[in-house]
Amino acid sequence: MSRRRIWTLVRREVRATFRDPFTVSILIAVPIVALLAFSFVISSEVHGLRLAVLDGDRSPESRRLVADIGSTGWFVPEPVGTRVEIERALQAGTLRVALVVPADFSRRLREGLAPPEVQLLYDGAEPVLAGNAEGALRGIVAASGGRLVRAPATPGGIRVATGVLFNPRLDGTPFMVAGTFGFVLSFLTTLITAVAIVGERLAGTFDQLQVTPATSLEILLGKLLPLGAIFAVDVVLMMLVAGMLFGVWPAGSALLFIAVSAFYVLVSLSLGLIFSATSATAAEAVEKTVLFSIPLVQMSGFAFPVRNMPMPVQWIAELFPATHYIRVSRGIYLRGEGPIDLFPELVALAIFGFVLLLLARRTLEARA
Amino acid sequence: MTAWVRRRLSNVLAVAYREGLVLRHDKGFLASVLVQPVSMLLLFGFALSYTPANVPWAVLDRSDTPASRRLIEDVRTTGYFLPPRPVYGYAQGRALLERGDALALLVIPRDFRRDVEAGRPEVQLLVDGSDPVTAARILGYVGQVAAHFDVRRTDGTDRVARTATIDPQVRFWFNATLRDRDFFMAIMAGMLLTNLCLSITALNIVGERESGTFEQTLSLPVSSLEIVLGKLLPLVGVSYALLTVAVLGAGLVFGIWPRGSWIALGIATLPFVLASMGVGVFVSSLARTTAQAVFISVFFILPSFVLSGVMFPYELMPPAIRALGFVFPLRWYQIALRRIIARGAGIEDVLGPCLALLVIFGVLLLGIRWRLKPRLA
Repeated sequence: MSRRRIWTLVRREVRATFRDPFTVSILIAVPIVALLAFSFVISSEVHGLRLAVLDGDRSPESRRLVADIGSTGWFVPEPVGTRVEIERALQAGTLRVALVVPADFSRRLREGLAPPEVQLLYDGAEPVLAGNAEGALRGIVAASGGRLVRAPATPGGIRVATGVLFNPRLDGTPFMVAGTFGFVLSFLTTLITAVAIVGERLAGTFDQLQVTPATSLEILLGKLLPLGAIFAVDVVLMMLVAGMLFGVWPAGSALLFIAVSAFYVLVSLSLGLIFSATSATAAEAVEKTVLFSIPLVQMSGFAFPVRNMPMPVQWIAELFPATHYIRVSRGIYLRGEGPIDLFPELVALAIFGFVLLLLARRTLEARA
Repeated sequence: MTAWVRRRLSNVLAVAYREGLVLRHDKGFLASVLVQPVSMLLLFGFALSYTPANVPWAVLDRSDTPASRRLIEDVRTTGYFLPPRPVYGYAQGRALLERGDALALLVIPRDFRRDVEAGRPEVQLLVDGSDPVTAARILGYVGQVAAHFDVRRTDGTDRVARTATIDPQVRFWFNATLRDRDFFMAIMAGMLLTNLCLSITALNIVGERESGTFEQTLSLPVSSLEIVLGKLLPLVGVSYALLTVAVLGAGLVFGIWPRGSWIALGIATLPFVLASMGVGVFVSSLARTTAQAVFISVFFILPSFVLSGVMFPYELMPPAIRALGFVFPLRWYQIALRRIIARGAGIEDVLGPCLALLVIFGVLLLGIRWRLKPRLA
């Protein structure tokens, strides 16, 4: 292995990458756009959701209940006249939540015998939305009911004092920011290498490389090191954007995060190399990459927690390097975990890296 | 006039025939048409869900009484949790949370039993908030168990356990148990068709340009718009086949059949397919190489999955992001699909989304016409 030859190859790769304005703009735009777009899509609450109110009682008490619900800003109450209106709007998909206050609401409240009933209707066709709305509304109704009753009821059940660690407001942004690193570093890297190498093969420059004295390992490093460095810059760029725009900084060591990310970039770059080396055309390489990255988004825990899957599917998910990287990224970003806590994941990543780098080198040799 | 229309039509059909021949021999195309519906059906039907499962949790039971053990058992039998891990100190439990080995820590105080007898029992629940959706659900599940915990069963007195001063009767329409599977099955056709229409059309024209066959077609007595329409026609057929597969798959495998009108489903699909293919052709006309076309289409498909509302409800997104999602055809189609499949709507309820899709298609056609002027230099 000659350091001079690798250096030459690295310089060649850097020049080739920066000569193409399209690639350069992709390298800058995609990470930032992904951060901006993905960071806000998950939420555990509701905000300004329209709430149809059918008030059959029209008493001060029922108006008080509706006012309490409106005052949180989570729901915007809107009076409706009939039940049919609610049913029609739910059916047409223009309404998500409705509250029906029966005519005997204030009477039962005053008599204090049986607790008054109210009906809460949700559009179950959007389960996440309905679940969030239910959690919020149940709390408001209980609190409002407590204020409406004059004689405090006998307390029942168990009171739960809750505390939330790491993210007290249950904000979705840090979770998605940490996941977006996994998305960008898995997907963009693989795609860029796959396309670049097939392009070189079509142009014939790849065969030229192989007749130079450079060994397959040197060619491999000459490809991986510069692209790895470029993506390491991307990581820092994303960290700065997330930090300065959304105020999301890693809770743990930023250096550890950059180091793991740089290593992970090498893993996905090798994957891209393997895809391209085993494909005859650019279209085929891209097909492989895209087919591989669909489960990547869906099974790596980026959007759906791996824990929620049935056991056999969880084993498959463990076979994606992205699953482990996203776990590391969330561990460092959200919980401030250190290398000792993350040890099993780091070992898994190291094994993936070793195997994939070896495979990438093998595929390069096989073509020579 | 009729002769003019007939000539136009025969031109389009001729190009469509040629295109059908090409597609039939494209192995990658056939594979993706056959493999994708099956893998999506399996993934979204069996594997992916927002509903917490196998949640690891720890219990610090300082009272260790029948009442406290019953509470733990009640939480466990909700079905969302793994068997709890007993811890013997607060620090130990917190360390589990910090390492991510437990998502929740339930602390039952030493005088829990006395508090039960006094009628004001209280426990503490610490939750890992890093995954906010899961955390909120865990708080909800444990809160419900605790609120309905019947203290009478342990102390023998007949104290009335009234949990709430208002008794909310909760009903979830269309999907009583809030199963995520129904949420995904309703829009499966949308995801499949986006993948198909965009990726095929985006690669197609650039590919022909690279190999020079596009310029050859231009030498024929057909206009560039006729070529584009002819190219799209066979794909419309494939799209309807995929729609049928998606709907039948969800119905036969999971018993989730469309509640609304099948005719409305068929009608609403056409403008969506046209708009998606329009995006593909436009991408293709923007890109100079196949690689560029791939990048642009992939980075259109992925955000459209995330922002359109097929994976996450768009009403939960902040206003700017929500508005951005309206440029994706998939946003409108998923609105229509959920109305027809999940809520049983008829054609009159999806006219709005259909109109929006036609507008998107029209704008794209103008763009394509402008970009696809013969470039023979």
